[in-house]
Amino acid sequence: MSPLARRIGWALAAYAALAGLPLVVSDYHTHVFIISLYYVILAASWNLLAGYAGQFSLAHHTFAGVGAYTSALLCLYARVPILVGIAAGVVVAGIVGYGLGTLCLRMRAIYLALATWAFAESVRLLIAVEYPITRGDLGLKTGFLFGTPHPTPYYYLFLGLTLASLLAIWQLVHSRVGAYLRAIRDDEEAAAVMGLDTFKWKRVAFVVSAAFAAVAGGFQGHYIGLLSPTPMKFNEMAIIIIMVIAGGFRTFSGPVLGAVFIELLSEELRAWGEVRMVLFAILVLVVARAYPAGLVGFCRAAGRRLTRSMPGLAPILTPQRRED
Amino acid sequence: MASLELEHIAAGYVEGIDILSDISVRVAPGSITGVIGPNGAGKSTLLRTIFGFLHPRRGRVTLDGQEIHSLAPYAIKRLGISYVPQGANIFPQLTVEENLQLGAWVIRHDRDRVSARLENAYEAFPRLRERRRRRATTLSGGEAKMLSLAKELVTEPQLLLVDEPSAGLAPRIVEQVYARLLAVREQGVTILLVDQNINKAVAVSDYLYMIERGEVRREGTRREFADQLREIVRDSLLGA
Repeated sequence: MSPLARRIGWALAAYAALAGLPLVVSDYHTHVFIISLYYVILAASWNLLAGYAGQFSLAHHTFAGVGAYTSALLCLYARVPILVGIAAGVVVAGIVGYGLGTLCLRMRAIYLALATWAFAESVRLLIAVEYPITRGDLGLKTGFLFGTPHPTPYYYLFLGLTLASLLAIWQLVHSRVGAYLRAIRDDEEAAAVMGLDTFKWKRVAFVVSAAFAAVAGGFQGHYIGLLSPTPMKFNEMAIIIIMVIAGGFRTFSGPVLGAVFIELLSEELRAWGEVRMVLFAILVLVVARAYPAGLVGFCRAAGRRLTRSMPGLAPILTPQRRED
Repeated sequence: MASLELEHIAAGYVEGIDILSDISVRVAPGSITGVIGPNGAGKSTLLRTIFGFLHPRRGRVTLDGQEIHSLAPYAIKRLGISYVPQGANIFPQLTVEENLQLGAWVIRHDRDRVSARLENAYEAFPRLRERRRRRATTLSGGEAKMLSLAKELVTEPQLLLVDEPSAGLAPRIVEQVYARLLAVREQGVTILLVDQNINKAVAVSDYLYMIERGEVRREGTRREFADQLREIVRDSLLGA
């Protein structure tokens, strides 16, 4: 069996294992899991760009918004089917990502972060002020993909989308392209010396991560049924970064664990309101300072400790894997 | 065999400040051409300009008559120019073999050729073969320099740009590195060598330039430089 076929098998097994969740939890909790899965796609795709390619963009949440608004506006004004609208949103986000990447990716570090942040705020303000078209902060109603706001069918959809996205990102990261991206991240000049068109590959990472964000944003828009510029504020980007850092920056499974953990914690602490962001900021500071490996590192350390005490569990707890 | 020519090159990192103000250098096919000079003379900037990291404000760079001064590094690499920067130009988290494979990126589609080139690299640097499965971060300074050089040689360049090959290395390793450069020249590769180790540069180069403050102060054959070595060393240390 080829490695790809084996991974598809694992993804299908994971789908089957998690498929029963809506049957045992409330609709509210099913909704929370859907939002967690939405964030898993955003966090994993941002980690692809920032963690593997080393390009610290602060506009990732904006691409989710671009995908969502493109689809919603096309459905509303051009009466296109929802799936066509979502596909168009992905294409538009990819094109915008290509343009933004072309403008910004020759910048380094803080300049790239500032430029992408300025772009994100500009898009948010544009959507807010163009209320005759977008309805601004009043919110733009979108059609439900399954004709109902009931979360169960959306859970199955997002579970499939998330597993497919993770599989695609895994394949990318462990392909030759992934090696190029890591080489560029580690030493861009050395990568250029070996003949890599570093700008081209950084832009590829930018476009691919924007497309993933647009997929997540497009489907989420047609699940929630209402779009507004509020989720395009910087808070949303901060949450994505917090999820990746808490889970384990530059690891494959870190963003997955981080997104689910932070989203569930956020729901538990909902009564605390905006104070949650302060708590999350402190969490990130502590993790970055004291335990940069994040939740993934914690799980691995726990697995190793358990293996030492129970050697029989070694094959299960410490399988050979390419995580980096 | 490649020939390189720089005509009246001016280049710098900041607008209005030229690190190279008027440099003309000719690298004859199949030769080792040395560039020496004091710290801050613009030696490394010269190589970075040739390899496309900097675009000259004035003048032209030609490889076998073809203008290359507006090309990006990846395009220059595809023309057969390799660049070994100062320091260890390697990916520390990758193994020695992975570094060499990345070095062969421009010929990656020809797997047989890549395998043959890697084998040649291991023959030239047996120490790297012993450490092929080790991460590059575990290599000593000398081994890292060898890997850096080997990584650029796997593509069989026509022209090799080498920046300070002896910097920070033990004398025994320095001898090996220069011996390797001479062997590479024997294979028909043209080499432009930038070095602060004047004795070594004069010993291995066929023709030399001494630059200072972005201009050529002196040029001549190895014999001419060898005859005036004491004066050249003094000029290089004190600034002419």
